[in-house]
Amino acid sequence: MSANESPPGAPAPGDGARFNDRVGTVTRDIIGRASANRKTGRMVVALLLAFSIFAIANPRVFLSPLNLQNIGVTAPEIGIIAIAMMLAMLTGGIDLSLVAIANLSAITVVALYSGIAANDPALAESLTLPIIVAGVLVGIGCGMLNGFLVSVVGITPILATLGTMQILNGIAIVTTGGSTLYGAPEGLTAFGRTALGPVPILFVLFIAIAVLMALFLSTTSLGRKIQLEGANPVAARYSGISSRSVLMSTYTLGGALAGIAGVLFLARNPTASADYGASYVLLVIVIAVLGGTNPNGGFASVAGVVLATLTLQIVSSGFTALRLSSYEYAIAQGVILIAVMVLDYVAANRRQRRPAIEAPPDARAASPEPTPATAQRDTEHS
Amino acid sequence: MDAIQTDAAGPVLSVRGITKRFGGVTALAGVSLELRSGEVHCLAGENGCGKSTLIKIISGVERPDAGEIIMDGETHSRMNATAAITSGVQVIYQDFSLFPNLSVAENIVLTAEVAGRQRFYRARAIRPKAQAIVEELGLDLDLDSEVGELSVADKQLTAICRALVNDARVIIMDEPTTALTHSEVARLFTVVERLRARGVALVFVSHKLEEVLAISQRVTIMRSGRVVTSGLATDFDRRSIAQHMTGAELDETRVVSPLDPDARARLTVSHLDLPGAFHDVSFTVAPGEILGVTGLLGSGRTEIAEAIFGARPAASGDILVDGLPVSIRSIPDAVAAGIGYVPEDRLSQGLFLEKSIADNIIAGSLDRHRNRWRGLDGMRIRSTISRLFASLSIKAPNAEAPVRSLSGGNAQRVVLAKWLATDPKVLLLNGPTVGVDVGSKSQILELLRKAASSGMAIVVISDDAPELVSCCHRVLVVARGRVVDVLEGDAISAESIHERMAA
Repeated sequence: MSANESPPGAPAPGDGARFNDRVGTVTRDIIGRASANRKTGRMVVALLLAFSIFAIANPRVFLSPLNLQNIGVTAPEIGIIAIAMMLAMLTGGIDLSLVAIANLSAITVVALYSGIAANDPALAESLTLPIIVAGVLVGIGCGMLNGFLVSVVGITPILATLGTMQILNGIAIVTTGGSTLYGAPEGLTAFGRTALGPVPILFVLFIAIAVLMALFLSTTSLGRKIQLEGANPVAARYSGISSRSVLMSTYTLGGALAGIAGVLFLARNPTASADYGASYVLLVIVIAVLGGTNPNGGFASVAGVVLATLTLQIVSSGFTALRLSSYEYAIAQGVILIAVMVLDYVAANRRQRRPAIEAPPDARAASPEPTPATAQRDTEHS
Repeated sequence: MDAIQTDAAGPVLSVRGITKRFGGVTALAGVSLELRSGEVHCLAGENGCGKSTLIKIISGVERPDAGEIIMDGETHSRMNATAAITSGVQVIYQDFSLFPNLSVAENIVLTAEVAGRQRFYRARAIRPKAQAIVEELGLDLDLDSEVGELSVADKQLTAICRALVNDARVIIMDEPTTALTHSEVARLFTVVERLRARGVALVFVSHKLEEVLAISQRVTIMRSGRVVTSGLATDFDRRSIAQHMTGAELDETRVVSPLDPDARARLTVSHLDLPGAFHDVSFTVAPGEILGVTGLLGSGRTEIAEAIFGARPAASGDILVDGLPVSIRSIPDAVAAGIGYVPEDRLSQGLFLEKSIADNIIAGSLDRHRNRWRGLDGMRIRSTISRLFASLSIKAPNAEAPVRSLSGGNAQRVVLAKWLATDPKVLLLNGPTVGVDVGSKSQILELLRKAASSGMAIVVISDDAPELVSCCHRVLVVARGRVVDVLEGDAISAESIHERMAA
């Protein structure tokens, strides 16, 4: 803080002072992050709460290693799609086609693999990696299509991706004839079964992708631009940020993540079908919002989304442990979402009622004319 | 009250000793005001002086903490919105509060119909009423066109007609001329004259000195929630009004640094043309020079700046930076060429209000702060932010504070910092001190002088004559899309600028 408060032209601080500045900056960073991540903290509480409730209600089933591993195996595919959803929402958009993309990528991998394996199993085996890459490429292609529709054509994201969702679902049903395809690459399913100690490898992969995405958002120029674009598209444009390339990259990246999620579907369950994960579309929106993503854009946290994914998976498996149905799980999803929104609303109100602590000395924060003249003034170019 | 008293015997409406506090801030401290029929009363004052609050109290939107409102001899301790409308007080806000999807006739009559508790909408009954008002004012308004399609001026006239249908005896207009062109202002003023003849008491809320003097019979000037002075318009001149508004002698002293006459132009604009906006615009700006561009609203001054910045590229003509031609088809083109632009609408175009000061400062220069792995260089970003935060003396607890918490002057410094972080060769600023308080204003101009002294070319688009006089080496006057005049050296004065602008 001292660095910022020293007036311009003050004598250059010595080494000691500079060290203090450094410490000051770091402390401020931590405090800043802590308050910015209030929503993440809230998810930690929700996660622990959900976990303890089910651990107490039915410890024998819920705490069994099998159940815990099951959470670890099912969370990644949903979590990765939720992160992709978070990206789209970060720009102020939404991507309804993510699950359809994931399915199409899974179908591509199975179709390619079983097609080749029918003639030459050894060749198919050796081509496992290229086939997986092809699946992810299908995801990237679909994401680029979304990006094109949203950024170049300028269609509202919810409509553009609703359209592509229907198209991709249709393609999936037509190519598979509506039936389930069997025959995922052996190597992939074997990989899906491995674990790092007690932790399933898929979960490790999920965390790795989440960390990469968090780093991407905070430490790359594109990541920051995605956040700014969502916070105020007009100001982003006037800051020299090309919304076209930002949106294109966002939806393409979302498609890539959905493609990876499709591959993870197969790693867990070696079949692919057009209607897999139909309930995921709304679930990932719930997760993204629960994780602190502002649906209007500009604000989101990968950590929050990861925690929200785990919370909902815990509730899901806890319900199974208590022998409750998936319908009751749906009710729970809705209740959790609305409860968290209400808490947010209450918290926001309480914060507003508190006098503005950060009002600078000359701020006319409580000025009777809340809108500076600039807001309405020159409507010259209308 | 059927007969309207046109003799200036008693006031139609008066307020006495109005006091209003918001939290700990006193917005109005014992304000009194009298409105007479057939008079235009100008309420002038800087942003934040309390004039909007006063209007809200008169129209019943806010309730005063103390004081009384006297309408037709009846004393009220407060107004409510419905009572205000039924007793004939109408406010025309800047956005006019019209329904864009309805026709002019419907807009004119509908609120009166609703207020009259008509349960059914009668299309046939509506038109004649609207027609009568429009004809009475001698307006050329198409009653059947959709309001959303109208020009700003016609929307305003629609709002005025609506007020009259409601039997308005007091019409308060909030900044009525800001969005109008010169000829539209003239048209508005003839309508205002007709309203006066009808015996309507008008209040113009404005901070534009010329208007104040041109149209009003009485002037009340407010500062920091108090009436500083009130009297006949003929007793004031531009300078005395400004003095009362700011509480300080109008500072028109010129502070400009000498320029190197041999230096090659930083920015050269030649024969720039955009049909419908501006035509054949040419000028140069030397390193270290601050060039003023002025003109009335709608003259094309903003369009010229936005064309150079690529927001609305020119159709033809050349732009050269440091003598090299640059093709500017988009904003990123302009930024790459070293051109920055502080837009006129700071809140929506310039700032990410919910983001921190730090995020805002770095928003325009992310690509310049990359390390060799193409990631962001956190150390350099932090040092850029703290350098600008300190050198522009942005008043906030720290750079993590959200921009929304800042005052106008400080918010503008953040926009300025965003562009200084890109180290531009050319910086265009549109209305850099609009909505900024007097103290901050001179500091922002000082920051511009400092930026120019480092060799930057600066273009200030403004209709604030004293500001142009204070910092510009030369002033271009734009009218109807053309550069009509260039003022230099001693020829630059507030009077000469106003003269040329209006010419």
